[in-house]
Amino acid sequence: MPSSENSTDDRAAREFVISRVFDAPRALVFQAWIDPRQMTHWWGPRDFTNPICELDARPGGAYRIVMRSPDGHEYPIRGVFLEVVASERLVMTMDVSGHPPEWHDLVNPNRARREDDAVGQMVQTVTFEDLRGKTKLTVRTLFNSVAIRDAMVALGMTEGWSQSLDRLSDLLARA
Amino acid sequence: MAVDYLSATFAALADPTRRAILARLATGVASVKELAKPFRMSQPAISKHLKVLERTGLIARGREAQWRPCRLKATPLKEVAGWVENYRQFWEESFDRLDDYLAELQSKGKRHGRKKQ
Repeated sequence: MPSSENSTDDRAAREFVISRVFDAPRALVFQAWIDPRQMTHWWGPRDFTNPICELDARPGGAYRIVMRSPDGHEYPIRGVFLEVVASERLVMTMDVSGHPPEWHDLVNPNRARREDDAVGQMVQTVTFEDLRGKTKLTVRTLFNSVAIRDAMVALGMTEGWSQSLDRLSDLLARA
Repeated sequence: MAVDYLSATFAALADPTRRAILARLATGVASVKELAKPFRMSQPAISKHLKVLERTGLIARGREAQWRPCRLKATPLKEVAGWVENYRQFWEESFDRLDDYLAELQSKGKRHGRKKQ
């Protein structure tokens, strides 16, 4: 739900960006994103499986992925495609409200109710750029939550940082 | 009204004076007087900042009447940093797997003499 906090000006502060170059043509990389039989092989952290992977990659189409951790916990993700441009761009919503409460606790242990979604709705934009036959893949996650935004701004999200207290201290000292 | 834990913590961090206080405390405990020194700020003004930091669990203050040493408590910052770092790690690992998957796909294609478009 839009609020006065989420103006277009602070979009950059609410956005998480990550990129990587893959040694494969765009068409191939794109297929790996929209074909559920392929996505199931790579989506998620190491040693996770995707027992459920359903994708209807067209505008308005829904997707549903259930990740399973090595110790058997399940992490459902679902959403709707907003834009699908072959070999170029995907935009979809991402809803992780189905993740276990323990996961949401990591983000916000003081939610009003245990079953509340700590993260809120995300909009994800995935772009596929041709780099002389290779593909530069960029994932941008736009968070709706003011709390997440504040966290990213305070921690200098775009610079990258680590969990160690020493590095955090350096960041604070530069402020 | 339930307090939004993350918002409170990072509202505390949003102020440059408070960030400077935390940076100083990262090097060791300090009294309010010592903390006030680098700023053209009265001790009551610094104390206001310290109260915000204390309320959000970022610092702890000793109880000695004359000297209330302040020390940094890293836990709330580490927790949020941890969550956001985990999110980045999710993608790094997914990309590692995608990389392996694409390599395997393309080597299979070559072995069967088929050209992938």
